[in-house]
Amino acid sequence: MSSDPNQTPATPPGHNDVLGHVDSPPTLIMVWVAVLALFGLTVALSSSGMFGKYTLFVQLAIGTVQAGLVAYHFMHLRHGDRVVVLTALASIFWMGILFVLFMSDYMSRSRVMG
Amino acid sequence: MTTAVTSVMPKIAPPPPEPAPAEPNYLNINYSLWSWLTTVDHKRIGILYLVSITVFFLAGGIAAGIVRLNLLAPDGAIVSEDAYNRAFTAHGVLMLFFFLIPAVPAVLGNFLIPMMIGAKDLAFPKLNLASWYVFLVGAMFGVWAILAGGIDTGWTLYPPYSSRSSTSNVVPGVFGVFISGFSSIMTGLNIMVTVHKMRAPGMTWGRLPLFVWSLYATSLIQLLGTPVIAITTVLLMVERVAGIGIFDPLIGGDPVLFQHLFWFYSHPAVYIMILPGMGVVSEVLTCFSRKNIFGYHAVAWSSMGIAVVGFMLWAHHMFVAGISFYSALLFSFLSMLVAVPSAIKVFNWTGTLYKGSITFQAPMLFALGFVVLFVIGGLTGLFLATLGTDIHLHDTYFVVAHFHFVMVGGMVLGYMAGLHFWWPKMTGRMYSDWWSRVAAAIIIVGFFLTFVPQFVMGYHGMPRRYPNYPQEFHVYNVMSTAGASILGLGYLLPVFYLTLSLFFGKKATGNPWSATGLEWQSPSPPPLFNFDEAHMPVVVCGPYEYALGIDQMGRGLPEGPGLGSANDPSDKHGESAAPGPMNKETHVVG
Repeated sequence: MSSDPNQTPATPPGHNDVLGHVDSPPTLIMVWVAVLALFGLTVALSSSGMFGKYTLFVQLAIGTVQAGLVAYHFMHLRHGDRVVVLTALASIFWMGILFVLFMSDYMSRSRVMG
Repeated sequence: MTTAVTSVMPKIAPPPPEPAPAEPNYLNINYSLWSWLTTVDHKRIGILYLVSITVFFLAGGIAAGIVRLNLLAPDGAIVSEDAYNRAFTAHGVLMLFFFLIPAVPAVLGNFLIPMMIGAKDLAFPKLNLASWYVFLVGAMFGVWAILAGGIDTGWTLYPPYSSRSSTSNVVPGVFGVFISGFSSIMTGLNIMVTVHKMRAPGMTWGRLPLFVWSLYATSLIQLLGTPVIAITTVLLMVERVAGIGIFDPLIGGDPVLFQHLFWFYSHPAVYIMILPGMGVVSEVLTCFSRKNIFGYHAVAWSSMGIAVVGFMLWAHHMFVAGISFYSALLFSFLSMLVAVPSAIKVFNWTGTLYKGSITFQAPMLFALGFVVLFVIGGLTGLFLATLGTDIHLHDTYFVVAHFHFVMVGGMVLGYMAGLHFWWPKMTGRMYSDWWSRVAAAIIIVGFFLTFVPQFVMGYHGMPRRYPNYPQEFHVYNVMSTAGASILGLGYLLPVFYLTLSLFFGKKATGNPWSATGLEWQSPSPPPLFNFDEAHMPVVVCGPYEYALGIDQMGRGLPEGPGLGSANDPSDKHGESAAPGPMNKETHVVG
């Protein structure tokens, strides 16, 4: 196997050095447990009928919190520099394009050209 | 735009001496199969991708051959109607997901991006190798689906047919697409991080070769779009396997939702396929016209423009699917917008050719073919973006001809141009000039004969994907099939002369085309880490200083090997170009 040409040994922990900012195992485990608990809550809500017709919105909100926890902790967003945070926000903006143009169809489909 | 007349050449550094052949180079450093299967060298991984996608291109071509042969007779010439459905689906799935999408990014991008920016490798070499294995795993699922009897839904996999009614192998095929998407994400991520973080000193964003810009834009689409198709395919499998209603209206789903999600990825995926080809063309046109690119910044930013606008116009595939009229108006307008950056590229390419010292070696022939066919494919796209004409032309052979003009006429020719341009660098061997020009001519002629009749058929109303047709379309289908056979011959020729070049071709110099990019500053084939460790490149100027006759390190361009063989594409005698600076008054633009 060829050696990794980009390996730079003895690099001091720098601004972009993610390994220098790894969360402690208890923190990671707590986040993991929280994500699983929210998953359990989603499953429970789906059969409880507690929120009626708003169940879907509540479940989507829970899913958003789960995704945020994963991005913030497991994907090291909390230690990312501005470019990384901007990139993450750009992906949310991209999703916004999908939803906005998508809803342009669903919200105006019943209207008839007069 | 700056304009200068360079009839008096400034003093420039002399051409560098021909770099000594790298001993060992990346090819001969280890011959074992294990060394190839475990390599993390971006060049070897590019070669692994090259071999893999060539196999899928041939398989997809065989499926296309079945389709075209069957259409020789109005009632189907060789296969049953069901087998016909499976053949065109196999053609679509293999060509799109396992050839077109990885072709330039994974083969040429892997091989060239680090060399073009002066780096030793991609940012994540092991992720790069993983992407090839993931691609293979996905491809194996696709092959399983085909060998087990195939899929009969068409490559678009529209539910509820695909989720409820089809008895074909939808799940393994869809799962293969799902897995191979991760390979695409890994490649995109790798290229993007590499371009951000590993550029050589002096390689500013304004000095990046346009091939790098185009792959950067492609990577953006791969990163942002592919997760959506991954989610969509999972939802489709969940509906088909578990009966959970997502897209099937009988169980509470919405089939138009699938089309929205599918095309949100699959329309930008068209730009994943075409943008890298555009990058190749920018490199080749400048080199073989000995001109600086016209409008560097316009071409670079138009790549980004296509990547961004390309995400906002997917629903023009759905004008007759029952979407809102107001929404259709909006998407029609947005679809027109993407013509702007596309046209910017074409105008700048023709500006580059203007008053150039043009030569017609194989890469240039393929690149010129790209420009012509892409213009036709692009302009006919405007017909389909227009609401009124789309209702007439939707799901007809007009659409088939349109997207083949872009995908095959554009992308495949761009890929061929790139393969022929960088083949000497990749292999260290020159191929037959004469045969390569013949192949380019055959491919372009065969292409026109195959797809121009389809425009006529489509305009007259022949639907796509139908195995039977009225007698009036017979002559057009025969013409199309005849063209496809010529096209097939044209594609087979490079397989032979490129393979033969590996054993009998003349040894290539480091810079056989007298080109300016950093990738030409290392020996052919390159050493393991691309450049001499003691003399890593330092960039002092833009990527296309052909008028001044200097490379990106500010050194003069070599005079070329001057082998004088009629069979050598690097031959600068006769009608071939003068190497080095342009030998006539030159307008320096852009």
